[in-house]
Amino acid sequence: MKHIISAKNIMLGTTGIVVLSVLSGCQSAPQEQEKQNKFLVVEQQPNGKYVVIDEAPTTGPSHAIIRSTDANGTVTERVMSEAELKNMADQEYKKMQEGKSELNSEPHGEGMGLGGTILAAAGGALLGNMIGNALMNNSNFRKNQDSSNRSAYHRSASGGMNSSTSSEKKSFFGNKGASSTSSSSSYGG
Amino acid sequence: MISLQTINPINDNTLEEIGFAWHTDSDESKYVANELVIVTDDEAEAYYEAVNELYDMYATAAQHVIDNNLFFELGIPFNLIDAIKKSWDNDVHWHLYGRFDLAGGIDGKPIKLIEFNADTPTSLFETAILQWALLKHNNMDEERQFNNIYEAISENFRRLVTLFDDPSEFEKHYDGWKILFSSVSGNSEEEQTVRLLQQMAIDAGFETGFEPLGGVKFDEEGIYDSHETPYEYWFKLFPWEDIAIDENELAVLLTTIMNNQKAIILNPAYTLLFQSKGMMKILCDLFPDSPYLLKTSYEPPKGLQCVEKRMFGREGANVKILDAAGNTIEANDGPYGNFKPIYQEYVEFPKDAKGNSYQAGVFFAYEACGLGFRRGGKILNNMSKFVGHILR
Repeated sequence: MKHIISAKNIMLGTTGIVVLSVLSGCQSAPQEQEKQNKFLVVEQQPNGKYVVIDEAPTTGPSHAIIRSTDANGTVTERVMSEAELKNMADQEYKKMQEGKSELNSEPHGEGMGLGGTILAAAGGALLGNMIGNALMNNSNFRKNQDSSNRSAYHRSASGGMNSSTSSEKKSFFGNKGASSTSSSSSYGG
Repeated sequence: MISLQTINPINDNTLEEIGFAWHTDSDESKYVANELVIVTDDEAEAYYEAVNELYDMYATAAQHVIDNNLFFELGIPFNLIDAIKKSWDNDVHWHLYGRFDLAGGIDGKPIKLIEFNADTPTSLFETAILQWALLKHNNMDEERQFNNIYEAISENFRRLVTLFDDPSEFEKHYDGWKILFSSVSGNSEEEQTVRLLQQMAIDAGFETGFEPLGGVKFDEEGIYDSHETPYEYWFKLFPWEDIAIDENELAVLLTTIMNNQKAIILNPAYTLLFQSKGMMKILCDLFPDSPYLLKTSYEPPKGLQCVEKRMFGREGANVKILDAAGNTIEANDGPYGNFKPIYQEYVEFPKDAKGNSYQAGVFFAYEACGLGFRRGGKILNNMSKFVGHILR
C-alpha cells in the first residue's frame, strides 16, 4: 500500500497560493517599500460579510488572501495584489465621502462588505497616511475597524482586549533575543 | 550513484518575494541547487516507513529514559527535567513537527538514522514550499514529490485541540485559543521559518501573533506579547537546552507556567530528550536489531570507524570522523565542545558523480510527511546546499 502524499495539496494553503501568484508574475516585484504595508487574510463569514482573521505588517507590497464560501459551502481562496486592493479601497473611500459606505454608520454585527473591510484594515497603507489619519479621526470608522478585524495584530496594535495589568512580567533572551549577527540559522541541526 | 535532473532555478528577486531571503551563502554560493534528486516511489515509501518506525522507537526510548531516570546520561540540564516529565505525561503537549536526518535510502543504500532534530528544525521553507515551487517553475508534475508537509503540519496544529480525535472536529472544539510565534530578531531564516508555521496555524483556524523572543513577556500566570496580550500557546524557535543553560530563571518560570496550566509551549520540553544524541545509544540498547540504527556508544568503539558528535551539537559543528584506530580523519570545530560526546558507527552518504554527499531530511508531523536533501562534503554543515527531489 502506498502512503506517500504528493506536493499537490500545497496549493490549498495560503502560502502555496502566494508563491504561485509570485511565480506566475501576478505580483509586482518588491519596490521602495513603506513600513506600514500589510498582509491581510480576509474570510467570508456565514452571513456573507467579510472579517480580517489575520494581519501582519510586510516589507513587500501589500497583499491579501480572500477566502470566500459559495452557496454550496465550497471555500475558494484568491490573492489580491496591491493594485487590486488600492482600487477597492479607493472606491470604498469615495463611497464614504458620499455618505454611502457601511463605514459611515455604526457597525451592525461583525464584518462588512469586502471593500469596507479592506479600507478599514489597510486604508492608510493603501491610500497613504493623509487619508489614513483622516479615517482614524472618524469614530464610526474606528468602531467598524474593530468589528471587522479579529486578528491578534489589530487587537494588540489597537491596545484592546488586554486582560492583565501585572507589573511583574519579565522578558528574557537579552542579547540573543534582540539581535543576531548571523544571517543563517544556528538551530537547524 | 545518485541521479540528478537539472532544472531552471528561480531568480533571487522572486525567491525574496516569496519570503526566501537566505538564497545565497556567506561565500556567495547559491544555497539551493539547480538540480533535483531523482527518487523512486519505492524509495520514498521506504523513507516514510522508516521515519514512522523511528518515531515510535523514540517514544518508547523516551519512556525508558523517564522510567529509569537516565537524564544525566543524556546530558539533560537538571532545571528542565520536571518540565520534560510534565510535558510527557499530558497529551496536550503535542509534538508539532520534527526532522529526521538520514543516510542512505537512495542508490540502493540502506536507510540509517543520523540524528533527529525534534525541537527546532529548520529547512522547513525549502522542503515544504521551495522544492514544490521549483516543480511549478519548471512545469513539472507537482504530484511527483513526497511533500505533504504544509498540510500535515496544519493538520497537526488542529490536533493541539482535537488530540487523537479527527482533526476535522477542530472547529467544534476550538474556543479562540491563540498561538504566539517567536524567533530571534535579525535572522531572516529563522523568522521566515516561524512565519511559515504561523501561516500554517492560521490556515488550520487558529488566532495567532508574532513577537520576537526578546519582546515576549512572562509571569507565573502566562506568556504575553509586548502589548501584554496573553497567549494560550507559545511556539519558540529557540533550543530548550539554551533556555536551560543561558536562561535558568526562564526555565523555572516556564515549568511553573506549565504546572499552572496557563500556557502550552511548542515544541514540548520532552523534545529535548529526542534532541539529545545520547538517545541513539538508548535506541541501540532497546532495539539492537533495528535495520535503521548505527551502533552508538558513549565510548569510542574499538576497531570501528566512527563519528564523534556532541550531545546537543548542531549543523555538523564539533563533529569528528575517526578511523578504526581512533585517528581523526576529518573534523569540524564549533561551540558545542562542552557537551558530552557520543560515538556513532561511520556510514558513507550516497554520492553523485562529482563526489558530493547527500543526506536525506524527512519531516515528521504525526507521520512522515516530506523529503528533502542536503548536499555537501563528508560532514554536512551550515554551508551544505539544499537539493529538492522528484519521484520517478
